[in-house]
Amino acid sequence: MTDVLDRIDRRPPDGGMPARRAVTRWAWRLLRREWRQQLLILLLITIAIAVTTVGVGVSTNTPLSTYVGFGTAHDLGTFQNNSATTTQKIDSWRALYGRLDVIDNEAVTVPGSVNTFDLRSQNPNGPYGKPLLTLVAGHFPKSASQVAVTSGVASLFNLHVGSVWHATGVARTVVGVVENPLNLLDEFALVLPGQVANPTNVTVLFDATRLAKGTSNVITPADVSKGNLLNPQTISIVLVTMTMLLIALVSIAGFTVLAQRRLRSIGMLGALGATDKDIRLVVRANGVFVGLIGALVGFVIGFVAWLAYRPTLESSAHHVVGALQLPWIVIVVAMALAVAATYFASTRPARAMTRISLVAALAGRPAAPKQLRRSAVPGIIFGVAAFFLLGVAGARGGNGGSGSLAIVLGFVTLTVAVVLLAPFLLTVLNRFSRSAPLAIRMAMRDLARYRARSGAALGAISVGVLIAMVVIIASAARFGNVLDYAGPNMASTQMIIYTSNGPYGPGGPGNAGAGNGAPAKSIATMALDAHSIAHDLGSHSVVTLENTSATLQHAAPGRSFSGPVFVATPQLLKAFGIKQSSIGPTTDVLTMRPGFAAITQMQLVYGNYFSGSKGGPITGPTAWPCPKIDCLANPSIQQMPSLPAGTSTPNTIVTEYAVHHLGLQPITAGWLIQTPVPLSAAQLSGARATAAADGMSIETKSTIPTSATIIDWATLAGILLALGILAMSIGLIRSETAGDLRILSATGASSRTRRSLTAATAGALALIGAVVGTLAAYLAMIGFSRTSALDGLHSLTSVPVANLLMILVAMPIVATVVAWIAAWRDPKGISGQVV
Amino acid sequence: MSILELQRVSKVYGEGDTEVDALTDIDLSVNRGSLVAIMGPSGSGKSTLLTIAGSLEEPTSGDVIIDGARVRGMSRNDKARLRRRTVGYVFQDFNLLAGLTAVENVSLPLELDGIPMKKARSKGMAALEGLGLADRAESYPDQLSGGERQRVAIARAVVGERSLLLADEPSGALDSVNGESVMRMILTACHGGVAAVVVTHDAKLASWADRVVFLRDGQAVDETLPPPSPEELLNPDVPKPSLS
Repeated sequence: MTDVLDRIDRRPPDGGMPARRAVTRWAWRLLRREWRQQLLILLLITIAIAVTTVGVGVSTNTPLSTYVGFGTAHDLGTFQNNSATTTQKIDSWRALYGRLDVIDNEAVTVPGSVNTFDLRSQNPNGPYGKPLLTLVAGHFPKSASQVAVTSGVASLFNLHVGSVWHATGVARTVVGVVENPLNLLDEFALVLPGQVANPTNVTVLFDATRLAKGTSNVITPADVSKGNLLNPQTISIVLVTMTMLLIALVSIAGFTVLAQRRLRSIGMLGALGATDKDIRLVVRANGVFVGLIGALVGFVIGFVAWLAYRPTLESSAHHVVGALQLPWIVIVVAMALAVAATYFASTRPARAMTRISLVAALAGRPAAPKQLRRSAVPGIIFGVAAFFLLGVAGARGGNGGSGSLAIVLGFVTLTVAVVLLAPFLLTVLNRFSRSAPLAIRMAMRDLARYRARSGAALGAISVGVLIAMVVIIASAARFGNVLDYAGPNMASTQMIIYTSNGPYGPGGPGNAGAGNGAPAKSIATMALDAHSIAHDLGSHSVVTLENTSATLQHAAPGRSFSGPVFVATPQLLKAFGIKQSSIGPTTDVLTMRPGFAAITQMQLVYGNYFSGSKGGPITGPTAWPCPKIDCLANPSIQQMPSLPAGTSTPNTIVTEYAVHHLGLQPITAGWLIQTPVPLSAAQLSGARATAAADGMSIETKSTIPTSATIIDWATLAGILLALGILAMSIGLIRSETAGDLRILSATGASSRTRRSLTAATAGALALIGAVVGTLAAYLAMIGFSRTSALDGLHSLTSVPVANLLMILVAMPIVATVVAWIAAWRDPKGISGQVV
Repeated sequence: MSILELQRVSKVYGEGDTEVDALTDIDLSVNRGSLVAIMGPSGSGKSTLLTIAGSLEEPTSGDVIIDGARVRGMSRNDKARLRRRTVGYVFQDFNLLAGLTAVENVSLPLELDGIPMKKARSKGMAALEGLGLADRAESYPDQLSGGERQRVAIARAVVGERSLLLADEPSGALDSVNGESVMRMILTACHGGVAAVVVTHDAKLASWADRVVFLRDGQAVDETLPPPSPEELLNPDVPKPSLS
């Protein structure tokens, strides 16, 4: 007997590359034909990558980077002058670390104004500072008699290339226009190195592999990073990881459905002689294609959105943002994760396909659902591990290095816990439904019996809710923090005009050197113009905002006080309907921030407290009680809900009583204008031009969303995501149980029974998913907050009840009702894709 | 020479109380170039016999030998290779793969066997041409009529060097004209040296076969040569059965 398999044959025994190519081609064609069935997965990946691209781009470029002063250096040293000691130290650093880039700055006051600009000596081709300089026109100074200025300085002094400028007693020819592309608010005049006689600030850029012991005055990007808790990059990484896990879970369910639908085709492929490897490749190639398409489409959409938003970002961030200035590593990793998620998600159904006998596959009979015998113990263990990992993340600030890693690991572990616990909860639910009506009892029993199938769906729904709830709780905690008050700056019917030399104006301490170039006018002139602007806007409400040196601080670890502290003038109180009689006679501070009055260890600091000229602060801002010099511990704070809520508006004010007994000196900081109707773009433009002519600046409603907006959107997104996953899962379950439902019909069950069965399945999955997701989110946030110095556990209590009810009650009801309506028609059998 | 041999093949489904004997001690031998029809009532084991003969399913006992190779003990991959190279299937409901054109469907078994796409495609085209479907080669299955689909399925089953064609109710979903046409093609394939086993309910179509095997309750209850077909009766070279 001759064995044909023993014949000499050059063809590879498993078909080799031609077979792989043929199978991959078929998978691609099927995806093109049946892309609608994978729309949810494709949409999820596309949205995730698009949001990641724009999100990480904006988050890494929005804040004026805390690293911009470093140029390309790793270390940055600063000195307040160029004394002999400074020179000695710089020389020693040069000996220790090699190349240095020394930048001298001298703050020069604009004549007739409190505004300043920097006279800067810097080597335009310096080894580290080059990114801090860009030539806009002309050329860089080449001799001591030449200077290049920024456009702001040029405008301020009416200079142009070729002008002769007398500044700091030296006549120099303007040879160029320059800018700091990393900070467009940086106004300076550039001269050759060594031409700044009396620097008020010396910056030294260098690279030290390892700083010598005892080195002071030096910071590194890591030092800067330590002060920035929960930075956008960390949040992005966590969200990307969570989203990819969710995508993987949804993909498992999706590819399982798909594989079931292609059962007969795959059976035929096996009958034609495809190996198990070929069959697995069909499903896996599909997974990779879906991941690739989603990632590429998502990236293209995200990149186009980024290009469209970039000009706005540049304008708001005050620095040049390159079109390609994106954190490419994060984006590429996110795209790779998307492909990996779908590939690994397709692996399980791919393996399952090869376990089905070819005869059963050809007949379109899916394998009997596997029972899952798994206790809740592994889930609980993972849950506890997640709790402690997030605790570690909270303690380390959740930022940089191990902190970020702990957050990511914590959420990954938590997701595993949710997926493991979900099947167990189905068993519990089944026990409770033993006396329920037939349809509900059957639905619960099926869910419990086939936990391998329904557990994955429940896990995906729970993770969807978990992500939404984490956003909701974190937003509520962050925006609900009365100290570091966040949210919209003002209403769309409000505008603040800041004086040119006030604390918040363009020439204020916080904005040194950022003057708009217009000569400063007197307060009386500015007041007249502010009223004129208000008149043009149709406003009859112009409130003068007065400011003192007083501000508040919290003498405890965690967030500190943020926001302006204006004076409670009679005019201001009247504008917001506050009667003098309603204010306590010894009240120091009025605030609209709920709960602020109850915060302990608050102190009102003023005068020379920060300069230390009277001896303080000696023991740091968290010293308690603070020294009585220019500091009032435990000021009397009274809540006044009728004050405006915007972060830039007078939401917290010092009373006239405090002004008098602390000897504060009010100065006019600006004017708050309230209009009857929201301001138009044309009105804002006109007001801005008028204010700029006086050297004033205006502030109007920013685009920062309210906490309610964020929470509402997160709620909606979570519900839609969960319902989408649920719809897909119900589709899978119904297709698998189509035969059972037909039998049920044949035995006389009405359509009402069938519909009840489907509705009960959907409702139960939605309810448990909502409960598990919510509990997991609270577990995560409690784990993080209990150790975080930023927001304690109390911050978790501010989640709006309405949003919780939407997820915990409304979502299961919607799922039940929609399933009831959608189940009116008989379920389709396993549709054969073969023709 | 025998291409397919079933030796005392039995198949039992289920266990204990649910045990069902689908096939019992079936012996069957099919020679190269011959056409065997399997007939019998529903549940008699016809399809089971076909799936076991094509290595899609393992018999509970007995041996299956295809083109000299004993199927028992083969790995899944070896069985897949055997199917790619030796066995072709035709099913009642065509089972063409959606997403692939007619010629791609036909050339797929060859590509799965490691033949490069171009070469496989030209062989597929040749098979389609042989069945008069060259002009429909680039059509997708849903653009073909029922008869055309089944012809494509036959082309796929015989493409390459297949020596065994197994057809399960190949004309079941077709009208009588198309059904006859399909049987004619199978017969043509047999004339080319392919051994064919066809399961059918249609006695008229079974009359095309060299031999008819009757199954009942999983057992071969009768085996007969069919009466001569009208064509044979008109052919003077074919010996006529004696009337005595």
